[in-house]
Amino acid sequence: MARVPIIEIAGLLVVTVQEELHDRDALRLQEELTDRLERTGSRGVLLDLSGVETVDSFLGRLLTEIAQGARLMGAHTVVVGIQPSVAITLVELGLELQGISTALNAARGLSRLRHLLAAEGGRGRT
Amino acid sequence: MGAHETSDSMLPIAGEDDIINARQFARETARRLGFGAVDQSRIATAVSELARNVVRYAIDSHGIVVIRGLNDAERGTGVEIVVSDEGPGIANVEQALGDGFSSGRGMGMGLPGTRRLMDEMQIDSAPGRGTTVIIRKWRR
Amino acid sequence: MIAQPRPDQEPAPQQATILEEQRRTIRELQTPVIQVWQGILALPIIGSLDTARAQDMNEALLDMIVQTSSEIVILDITGVPLIDTAIAKHLLETVAAARLLGAEALIVGMSTRTALTLVHLGLDLSGVTTRTTLAKGLELAFRRLGLEVVPRARANPDAAFADAGDI
Repeated sequence: MARVPIIEIAGLLVVTVQEELHDRDALRLQEELTDRLERTGSRGVLLDLSGVETVDSFLGRLLTEIAQGARLMGAHTVVVGIQPSVAITLVELGLELQGISTALNAARGLSRLRHLLAAEGGRGRT
Repeated sequence: MGAHETSDSMLPIAGEDDIINARQFARETARRLGFGAVDQSRIATAVSELARNVVRYAIDSHGIVVIRGLNDAERGTGVEIVVSDEGPGIANVEQALGDGFSSGRGMGMGLPGTRRLMDEMQIDSAPGRGTTVIIRKWRR
Repeated sequence: MIAQPRPDQEPAPQQATILEEQRRTIRELQTPVIQVWQGILALPIIGSLDTARAQDMNEALLDMIVQTSSEIVILDITGVPLIDTAIAKHLLETVAAARLLGAEALIVGMSTRTALTLVHLGLDLSGVTTRTTLAKGLELAFRRLGLEVVPRARANPDAAFADAGDI
């Protein structure tokens, strides 16, 4: 039902999740993101979860998979906007989303990505 | 002492869409019972896990969620949520509750996590008998 | 200086709102989160830390991180006399939750005895940055933020803020 838009900004892929995702929407997002990474060769993904009220073990694991998939395609993933309640619940579930970088907000997230890529001396727009 | 839910509220589960319905329903009930934001999140997440089990493992993904407020002289206000289905049942409940259970269904059932988020959890399940999970959380 | 959080903005029936407000006030009184600098929060933990208190602490801290956009949090355990598995796990949960928000939590006030206890407990502390004192934690925090404390007009330039070593 909900198709999460993937926007390209300065060579980075930005995904803003504004509402609760059904499992199938989350899986579709994973597919589309992988597809876009392949087509654009983008080196960074920003995932904004500020519109998400509940992150359970399914979504938590999927986020880790998305980051792992992105890494295999040469891209860093930064997640922003995790709400305090969600953070506490995730940690209590035992999911710490290791392997995913985080930042306080979208602006810092983008700058974090640029920083990570600059440190690598990456090719492309950033 | 505020408005309590004294009668059961029910929500049927018929498919994947109902996972979100169930957890939003649980979150809203928890909020009205006076649970704080983080507890609302814990409750919503626990219900999400249980509702997903119904969708994944129950016959035709059919099941039911029953929510009611609790009012106990000693423990105060709480919420009880019962998630029931007529699926194949869990062959080994203890194993499913153990964190080390990583093969197939165990990994996906999220039961240990749900247990950690809640104050109480009971599972009544056996092959051929379906599964009923009861979880409770008390307001602090 | 203790920064005050904004009042609850969620629309809710009156009683649920009052309860949440009361709860928040109690949390704030019991777990004072101090903004020591722009972007740096400090939380002195005094006494023991049971599950209820740890949960309150996490909530108060995480809300403050969001409201003040603080990247660094200094958890000061100088005042915690006894560290056991439960307390250590709570601290690790705080560090993990802060990270999910995009902040880094440092643990300071680590005594030799506490360090040995934690090592004996065999917990995975690989992702946690610690310092022995609040001052050292603050110094590290400044460095992370790209800040440097420099004395004014000094005859001896070598007397500038000492580098405490590796991160």
